[in-house]
Amino acid sequence: MNKTAQTGVVLTDIRKSFGNVDVIHGINLTIAEGSFVVFVGPSGCGKSTLLRMIAGLEDVTDGEIAINGRDVTDLDPSERGIAMVFQSYALYPHMSVRDNLAFGLKMARTKANEIETRVNSAASILKIDHLLDRRPGQLSGGQRQRVAIGRAIVRQPDVFLFDEPLSNLDAELRVSMRIEIARLHRELGNTMIYVTHDQTEAMTLADNIVVLRNGRVEQQGSPREVYEDPNNTFVAGFIGSPRMNLLDATWTGQDHIDLAGRKIRSPLAAQSPQEGEKITFGIRPENLAVTQEGNETIPATVDFAEYLGGTQYLYCQLDDGQPLVAEYRSGPPIETGSRIGLSCAATHHRIFDTTGTRVR
Amino acid sequence: MSTARKRRANGALRGLAAYHGAGIIIALFFLAPLAITFLASFRHGTEARQPALPPWPTNGFSLDSYRSLDTFGAGIWQHTLNSLAVSLATVVLTVAVSLLAGYGFSRYRFPLKNVLFVLVIATLMIPFQSILTPLFIILAKLGLSNSLIGLTLVYVTLQLPFSVFMMRNAFDAVPKEIEEAARIDGARDLRLLIRVLLPLVLPGVATVAIFAFLNAWNEFLAALVLLSSNEKYTLPVLMMAVRAGRLGAINWGAVQAGVAVMTIPCLIVFLALQRYYMRGLMAGAVK
Repeated sequence: MNKTAQTGVVLTDIRKSFGNVDVIHGINLTIAEGSFVVFVGPSGCGKSTLLRMIAGLEDVTDGEIAINGRDVTDLDPSERGIAMVFQSYALYPHMSVRDNLAFGLKMARTKANEIETRVNSAASILKIDHLLDRRPGQLSGGQRQRVAIGRAIVRQPDVFLFDEPLSNLDAELRVSMRIEIARLHRELGNTMIYVTHDQTEAMTLADNIVVLRNGRVEQQGSPREVYEDPNNTFVAGFIGSPRMNLLDATWTGQDHIDLAGRKIRSPLAAQSPQEGEKITFGIRPENLAVTQEGNETIPATVDFAEYLGGTQYLYCQLDDGQPLVAEYRSGPPIETGSRIGLSCAATHHRIFDTTGTRVR
Repeated sequence: MSTARKRRANGALRGLAAYHGAGIIIALFFLAPLAITFLASFRHGTEARQPALPPWPTNGFSLDSYRSLDTFGAGIWQHTLNSLAVSLATVVLTVAVSLLAGYGFSRYRFPLKNVLFVLVIATLMIPFQSILTPLFIILAKLGLSNSLIGLTLVYVTLQLPFSVFMMRNAFDAVPKEIEEAARIDGARDLRLLIRVLLPLVLPGVATVAIFAFLNAWNEFLAALVLLSSNEKYTLPVLMMAVRAGRLGAINWGAVQAGVAVMTIPCLIVFLALQRYYMRGLMAGAVK
């Protein structure tokens, strides 16, 4: 019971199964009050299910959910102090924007003048004052999403839940709505839980990222921690675009690894693998320096060069056939088929053992 | 350049004329029987036995046919009221039951749901004439034979399979998120159904209402079999009496007047609800 005394959202050993299929396998998670947490993961990892369980739209098979010290596991969605913004907006098409915003308050039998105050204040925060008398059908996608967020704001919830709210918007609108949501979080200061598969959204919005896979938490941490200090090959490969290069290598002992026939110094602080043990060597494309082929570098052949204006992505092959991507920013353009040398500072090396777990 | 433009304009005009001309001709074909019936119902009593052409009154308008229609059975008003009572009660009950059933089939998970639904739909394949005798016996046991309430219950029963099917489809077309948003907003059960979902399935409700009204209003066989006293007959049964005539002579004027009386409520119901009805039929056609 001590756990429920905490503020914020606390999930204790949450499990969910649909029939015989377990989709969430005992998740323990503490989300601090006022923080912006993003759940990311590939599709089918259970991130939306987890959010819907917090919302109360999905029953909890086992475990406990507490919001601001109150056990809400068996409460109705409307009694949990949450508000949710859906991917498809889910506005009531037969009501005006004003009625859409006011509906929840009317259901809670709030006084009419209080409803008016809250609706007007939410509308001015989101700059939708002039749309209040329109129907959702007469609004653009971005305006609809604002109304959906407005509907959440008027409820003055403890926790905002966002289920991929920007996926239906075009790229430009997505960027501006993202900034809007960040501003909203700064202004309102509520706890926000946000589900997305878009890494940019996750990295830019979150104080805290929770990476999920197959109904389990793979890592929880700040965007920087998750990006720079991944706990395993899954997180390393999932966060970042293009993804981290994960290459097969061998630990040769004395702080050295053998990668495609070259010896590379890679000191580890705490533990070391056994000599001769197979390892996975991780390096981000932007941490690879592209130079002339030489003794001190890892030789590679450029299969394909992708020109993106400020930078070039080189899709290469090491001499043992392993594929690898390198980011190349300055210098003369590199042609397909050319031989290059790659080097990288030891601080950027990430070593994983055969099970994919990070060795530090 | 200008001749080309003129030619194009002429072509467009010809196309438009052909389009509307064809439309008008087809509309005439459909409207002619209605017009003939209405016009013929205003002919003088003496004219009524004459050849049908021309269909309009040649000796001035008269309400003779409507007056003579009133001499059949218990009077046209009584039978119209019977028909209206049965049809409206059928509409209300059918809509109420199919709304709840459609919602249940669409949104709740329960054992044997699909089997039950298929069973409900399968009853559409049973010709209702074949169960008229059992229905008659059941109604007699319930003390509802020769009663408009009994007839209404039979109509509702016959109407329900199609209506439940229709309402389930209507609810299936409503995105689940809207319902979930309403649940988060605190709307539950009946309030959720009436405040949020009902307006969204209104096209389905209109379709169900139209079909229930038309079928109950026009139904003849069950009314003839299940009702036995003169003052309880509905309009279709009265029309049979009018059509049968007296001493072998058919009063065509009264028949036309009866057809006119029977058509008007159908037209009103259809015109009032057709906007929703068309939407209901097209729901799910384009996603």
